[in-house]
Amino acid sequence: MVLVRAVAGRVLASLGTLLIVGLALFVLTRSGPSSPARIVLGVDATVEQIRDFERVNGLDRSLLAQYGDWLAQVARGEFGRSFVTGRDVAAEIVNALPVTLSIVLTAFAIAVVFGGALGTAAALRPGGVVDRLSRFGTVIGLSIPAFWLSILMIRVFAVDLRWLPPGGYAPLSAGLVTHLQFVAMPALSLAVYYVAVLARMTQASLQETLRSDHVRTARAMGLPRRKVVVYALVNALPPVVNLAALSFGYMFGWALIIEQVFNVPGLSRALLNAISQRDFLLLQGIVFLFTAVFILANLSADLVNRLLDPRQRTAA
Amino acid sequence: MTEFTLDRRKFLAGGAAGGLAALLPIDLLHAQPNNGKTLTVVLPSNPITVDPINQLNHDAMVLGQTVFENLVEYDLDGVLKPQLAKALPTISADKKTYVFELRDDVTFQNGKKMTAEDVKYSFDYLLDANNKAARRSLFTRITKVTVLEPYKVQFDLSEPYGPWLYFLTKYMGIFPVGSRQEHGDAYFKSSPKGVGTGFGIFEDWKPNDSITFVKNPNYWRKGLPHWDRLVVKMIPEDATRVAYLLTGQVDVISAPPPREFNKLKTLPGVTGASRPTLGGALLMYTNTLKPPLDDVNFRKAIACAIDRKTIGDKVYYGLLDPSSVPAPPRGWWFNAAADKELGYDLERAKAYLAKSKYPTGAEIDLSIQAEPYLLDTKDAAIFVQAQLAKIGIKVNLKVYEFSVLIQQAIRGEHQMALQVFMSPGEPSYILQVCLTPDQVLSKSTGYNNPELNGLLAKAFAETDQDKLKDIYGAIQTIVARDAPIGVLGYVHAANLWRPTVENFKVNQGLTISVGEVKV
Repeated sequence: MVLVRAVAGRVLASLGTLLIVGLALFVLTRSGPSSPARIVLGVDATVEQIRDFERVNGLDRSLLAQYGDWLAQVARGEFGRSFVTGRDVAAEIVNALPVTLSIVLTAFAIAVVFGGALGTAAALRPGGVVDRLSRFGTVIGLSIPAFWLSILMIRVFAVDLRWLPPGGYAPLSAGLVTHLQFVAMPALSLAVYYVAVLARMTQASLQETLRSDHVRTARAMGLPRRKVVVYALVNALPPVVNLAALSFGYMFGWALIIEQVFNVPGLSRALLNAISQRDFLLLQGIVFLFTAVFILANLSADLVNRLLDPRQRTAA
Repeated sequence: MTEFTLDRRKFLAGGAAGGLAALLPIDLLHAQPNNGKTLTVVLPSNPITVDPINQLNHDAMVLGQTVFENLVEYDLDGVLKPQLAKALPTISADKKTYVFELRDDVTFQNGKKMTAEDVKYSFDYLLDANNKAARRSLFTRITKVTVLEPYKVQFDLSEPYGPWLYFLTKYMGIFPVGSRQEHGDAYFKSSPKGVGTGFGIFEDWKPNDSITFVKNPNYWRKGLPHWDRLVVKMIPEDATRVAYLLTGQVDVISAPPPREFNKLKTLPGVTGASRPTLGGALLMYTNTLKPPLDDVNFRKAIACAIDRKTIGDKVYYGLLDPSSVPAPPRGWWFNAAADKELGYDLERAKAYLAKSKYPTGAEIDLSIQAEPYLLDTKDAAIFVQAQLAKIGIKVNLKVYEFSVLIQQAIRGEHQMALQVFMSPGEPSYILQVCLTPDQVLSKSTGYNNPELNGLLAKAFAETDQDKLKDIYGAIQTIVARDAPIGVLGYVHAANLWRPTVENFKVNQGLTISVGEVKV
């Protein structure tokens, strides 16, 4: 019961955060120096044309009134119709979301599996070959800019070797192999940094746990090494889970660059276009979604940590 | 029945084969029967609309020009020729009445025959202020469109104004009577199926990805187009756009990176060409109402201090033809003597500065655009900054986003602003918009000279090219005398394409032209 109450509290707090971010977003998108009317009607548009456009699209009303309307729409699952492209914003998000999700989820899986494995292997033999290789590799992974790596990969794997397409996207319905061929390079470029980050964190956390009293006690009691490592890993996981959840949120942000380089028609491409075209409704819709993902990822991390760590359950 | 057993060796062999298959060349993996010829072209930006009367982006005009056509066409060589009209119009002696004989073999993509009623309807719709067409202002001198016969239509103008014919290709299209009311604006914007007479019928728009058209089987120019499907892809990143071409995913790309262009066009499997546009000018709006640019000698000092040839050769790798007057060096109306008057000459620049109210130099702000459009102007701005420093003028570079910069220029809030200005490629557009009063960019220069205005009105009433050359030559002489606007040069349109593409020609109007391309 205590746990349920705590979870409900976290969910409510998350909703509150979402509302505040939504309002900030609303004010910020409209505080820019120029109206979307100029983008739609062009340089030659007269002042009357601009005013007409703003009136028809409700841009001349107070910010609070516009925000209220928008929230009511969002509650109904609608995000409005873009006044720049005339398309339904919700439909545009629904079309683009699976594309971004498939890249981010693949990248996340790569980051968690390889980062976790590398960090664990390095922590188990400090100073060993894996540890040294891991240190070298993670420095490289942390230092390489993703956009540069992306361009390099396109050059090598698409242009020179012709193994993979230079960009674009094929959905799962086109076949798993084809889908993976399109997702491989963007996901890998996105994952490299997070493999390094998670490897470092896993290694540091596991090494610290392995040095702790209860692990020494377990060893002294004669528990098999494998069992000790598993216990230590579970104990070392909470900070890694937190970082992984944050990474998942950040990946949506970094996908902005990756999707641009690989010409992937995902959310980030839509977001960049929305920014350059002053498409407020689409911009709000996507950033609101990004915020929701970030909050959801953090919430999930909290819940997973409660499952992993009995102390957190009792504290709740 | 054969028994199937799986041992570890078979499993590993199968796994290895699967792994190898995944690494096969993508073309092989995608190999499938090609039942139709698809032409894929790439744009660097994301279009907002297909509708020509609301189109702002010159790259995206390929969409409207695939679906819609006009009475006359300003073609890719910069020649005005009949399109839906049988011939160029008959113009009255007072140059205020234009009569067009229409072709009688043209049908819309919905099967309906095109007649003079459709032409009248299309122009009436464009000119009705309630319809808020973004390009209406270019055609407001048309006061009345009259159907004379089923295939004959007359246009009455409030005053002589020849240039309107040259604006049609970029900013207008003919659509069927009643189609706007029947389908609504959103339809014309994002799914105009069946409402044009063009060679391509709109098929699908995948936002942020591509727009497709299928061949119009009943196109009036028999045998065209040579492709069955046209895919217009949007790829904003330069390197990716080039990679798509190099790997054969696309056939033609626009806006290749200038730095790489000369190298790329020599690569095996790639063909490339560029040609100067007649209307894409790299302009430096000089606000003549704000000191120190209120002094003509100061403005002339700036004009003469800029080495445009070096900008063209070194900054834009040959993709900019230097010009110091608002006329392209390869245009028939270019006045070389006027161009020389404002051309690069450091000693003259110093002499002009010495004669000005600011003999020891001054400090000015130069607004530049953050994101490139057609060309990245930031490098040129840095070069201009260095050049003006040589005669004692300190330039502060101010970077703004496009919509902010253009607002500054429209309101006259800037001192100097550098921007690529794409016009239809006939002589009057830039002069009229930037150097005469009551125009959108009048305040970008703040210039108003009755002598120039009079000459321009004379040009609007003239149709003889030799006489027009004299008039526009005289206008350029005035510009050379007063230096009301900075001009650095005219940009080239450039494209790269695959050798499998035939009949492709770079368009002087920048927009990719696909109607006659074979693939």
